[in-house]
Amino acid sequence: MKERLNSKAPRKLLFLFEILSLSLIFLFSWEGIQTETYAIAVGLVLLIYFSNYMLGRISKGDNYVFLIVCMLVSIGIIMIYRISPDLGLKQLMWLALGIAMFFAAYFAIRYISFWDRLTPLYLVVSYGLFALTLIMGTRTHGAINWISIGGVSVQPAEITKIVLVFLLAAFYGGDEKYRRIKNAEILLMLVIYSFIGLLFLQRDLGAALIFFGIFSGLQYIYTQDRRLIWANLGLAAIGGIAGYILFDHVKVRVTTWLDPWPYINDKGYQITQSLFAISEGGFFGTGLGRGNPAFIPLSYNDFIFSAISEEMGIFTGIGIIMLFMLLVYRGFKIALRQDNQFFRILALGISMVFGIQSFIIIGGVLKVIPLTGLTLPFVSYGGSSVVTSFIALGILQGTSEKRGKAGIGNG
Amino acid sequence: MDSERKRIITILVALCMGFVLLIGYLSYFQMFKAQAVRDNAYNKRLWINEDNILRGSIVDRGGEVLVYSESRDGETQRIYRYDNLYSHVIGYSLKDYGKSGLERRYNSYLVNANENTAINELINLINPSGVGNNLSLTLDHGLQKKTRELMNGKKGSAIAINPKTGEILSMVSLPDFRIETLSENWTSVSENPDSPLLNRGTQGLYTPGSIFKILTAVGVIQEGVPEAIYQCTGSTVIDGYTIRDFDESGHGPLNLEQAFAVSCNTYFADQAVALGHDNLLRIAETLLFNQKIGFDTETNASVFPRESIGLTDLGASGIGQGRVLTTPLNMLMVVSAVANDGYMSMPYLVETVQSPGGMTISSHRSESRKVLEIGESQALKRMMREVVESGTGTNAGINGVKVAGKTGTAENASGNNHAWFVGFAPLEDPKVAVIVLLEEEGASGGRAAAPIAREIIKFALNNITN
Amino acid sequence: MFDLLSIVLKYVFVFIIYLFIFTIIRMIYLDIRSVDYGNLESGAYLKLLNRIDSLPYNLSDSYPVEGELTLGRQKENIIQIKDPYISKKHFRIIKDEEEFFLEDLGSSNGTYLNGERVLDVVRIGKGDIIKVGELEFIFIDGA
Repeated sequence: MKERLNSKAPRKLLFLFEILSLSLIFLFSWEGIQTETYAIAVGLVLLIYFSNYMLGRISKGDNYVFLIVCMLVSIGIIMIYRISPDLGLKQLMWLALGIAMFFAAYFAIRYISFWDRLTPLYLVVSYGLFALTLIMGTRTHGAINWISIGGVSVQPAEITKIVLVFLLAAFYGGDEKYRRIKNAEILLMLVIYSFIGLLFLQRDLGAALIFFGIFSGLQYIYTQDRRLIWANLGLAAIGGIAGYILFDHVKVRVTTWLDPWPYINDKGYQITQSLFAISEGGFFGTGLGRGNPAFIPLSYNDFIFSAISEEMGIFTGIGIIMLFMLLVYRGFKIALRQDNQFFRILALGISMVFGIQSFIIIGGVLKVIPLTGLTLPFVSYGGSSVVTSFIALGILQGTSEKRGKAGIGNG
Repeated sequence: MDSERKRIITILVALCMGFVLLIGYLSYFQMFKAQAVRDNAYNKRLWINEDNILRGSIVDRGGEVLVYSESRDGETQRIYRYDNLYSHVIGYSLKDYGKSGLERRYNSYLVNANENTAINELINLINPSGVGNNLSLTLDHGLQKKTRELMNGKKGSAIAINPKTGEILSMVSLPDFRIETLSENWTSVSENPDSPLLNRGTQGLYTPGSIFKILTAVGVIQEGVPEAIYQCTGSTVIDGYTIRDFDESGHGPLNLEQAFAVSCNTYFADQAVALGHDNLLRIAETLLFNQKIGFDTETNASVFPRESIGLTDLGASGIGQGRVLTTPLNMLMVVSAVANDGYMSMPYLVETVQSPGGMTISSHRSESRKVLEIGESQALKRMMREVVESGTGTNAGINGVKVAGKTGTAENASGNNHAWFVGFAPLEDPKVAVIVLLEEEGASGGRAAAPIAREIIKFALNNITN
Repeated sequence: MFDLLSIVLKYVFVFIIYLFIFTIIRMIYLDIRSVDYGNLESGAYLKLLNRIDSLPYNLSDSYPVEGELTLGRQKENIIQIKDPYISKKHFRIIKDEEEFFLEDLGSSNGTYLNGERVLDVVRIGKGDIIKVGELEFIFIDGA
């Protein structure tokens, strides 16, 4: 008799996880419990249960990506709340907004079909966002990538990231007329490089890497002229070396990546504190509430992975990596099943964003690659990060349903 | 669509490999690198653990408490009962300036910060001790006090060891410093040009001078020519440079034993040249040169030049001048091996680590290696006896005990010679080996260092029973 | 007290997270194994009328009948449904000459054609509704 496998099982596990960890956190901050705390608990659980249920009702598409993301989000918010109940509450708000945007994006993709015809718009919007950042941007942590609008901080690069995916999808999978322009591919490369260059100027090296990664990946798959792939890699190598020589802040990143220990008190402070945290927890962690995430700078943001590894263990860290792997895998599977090329590329691009971004930041805090200021999607605290990630997820969810004949058939 | 599909899958595989790489590295990091990273002095977590734990005590071989912690109104204080006496060996443990010596090396035992294994954690919860483990040392408090007294006012180091077991019985380095006031006086202590924080015994590098002749003698014995007669005229010219004896009139005809007893420079310089660089290098490295000696506190490697050197330098090496540098500990180990019939028992300070309840958690595993043939060590024993009986080391002689040793007077850049004496007793059944180094003493080893060694040996033989 | 709880729970959390991951992997794996039926141009097929949440995995909208179509709990079935209400081999539809027949394979809870329980073998045609447990299919013959 085969065991009965219930599709409700993951949801129940999620529920159990949330209940237990929330109870633990309550115990931890027994003194300071206010109604807000209960609000978080109830809010989180309800939100996740409800949205999963709704999704099941509404969409015939993929059921897994949202579930995977919910687990990531739960682990993240638990950790964030443990670090700072204030931020935890805020993160819950962002979550709610994010999920709403998720559905919005999903409907937008599902029911609006002319996305693939908007190539010029994407160009304008991208450059516009860059211009906005350069003009209105404020420098935080060495990078100019935030703008303040009426008290709310937004990271335009996060939006441009999504627009980039649309741009590439429209170019490679949309109307043929753009590809037929003379030297279209080379022009595309120049445009992308201009984006990366602007990001360099803003000192947002992490975003630059992601842009490069997405472009290279999609170019590898879709370009007709294979030589351009080598050109791309070659230029990247040259650009990288040039960047290292010309820009001090690049040099600093590389030096502290290779050997941060002599600079333990200044330049290497962040990465060494991250390593201290990761080495402290052992395989199962010190236990929630028993570690010292306060010693890690930006523990709720870029270094959330280190804080999680300290208190919840290496195994949980590995679990998070596996969840991202599953997410990327699922995204690619969705892409492969999609007949419509524009939406296929959209799915690929989004999956690559998740994959590359999480790889870069986890690799960075582990000192496998140099550190860059990126957030871990869904797990890190941050309005821009959470909302844009859910929008991206909504787009992915939208592409997971067949277009059939009703969609724009382009290959 | 087909090639597109293949390429898509390629990218997917690439991304997945990236993730697998991260998982692999994370596991590798945890298994192999995590402990080393954690023990970094800048890791504030180590201090957090500490504040909650009563740091363990350190006792001498007889159980005399040397250092302990006690808690007074919620604050823990560390009491260094003999302050500067153990300032180098035991070291300090300060929030602002880190740790040194045994306090550093055995930190995780002293604060009971074991690995995060499930069992340990549950044990700690069920039976919260809040107390660290204790160290039981090989040092003898009485001998340590005596050694310090004898060396008072000098600059240098004196170490006593049991040559058969490797137990360090006393270890003194001067100048030393007061631990009680170290925090307040950190700047003046750490910037003092005499480097009081340095453990000269294990980390000071000095020109050995004539005590290095022990190694050259090994070479001569190995070549099979100890009986060959050499004419000492008081000076010898090697490659245009003259090496002289203390007594310029010359010693006349000598064989190895005789040359050793009177510490004839020209003999050993010429022998070194005859042996050749490769041979001397081999002997030196067998006797722990050019490598850090494994020990319970930090050590520095003695230096015997690896690259080929000119003949003059080679000759100078033979008499422990030139570019040879050694730590006192290294030369003590050489003599210890001689005393122990060619077997070098590796030195150590910590005999056992014990839990607060008295259970032995860890105990020293002895390690010894053969570095000399029995014939070589026997010959050296005889020669070293001769030094003390009738040679340059008579000041180390004790009535009723056969002491063996070698003196050294090392010329160095400061212009004031280092005074060395290294020896062991009793000859027939060595119980203690000693090295005394008087830095820039400006007097000969026989006159200045040997008497101190004599008193250390006397005390040790009279007071330390095994 | 908190410490003890935190220490015990950390093992529990890891366990839950991995169980979650493996459950999802398993579900995805099963999904891959069920054949994906795309859009059909013509031919006969069984179309699912109601989507129910409690199904172990996505059921496709439609299943073509090519020769024989079986439904049951066992994995040998073309339509595999792991619901205890459904028998190991529940029913099958076969094409004989140009006609289609529905046969109940001795199921415990029965197969219902247009509301009536199928006892043996019965011919079916376009528009017939086949119900097993909570699932409702409509048979469509495109020919």
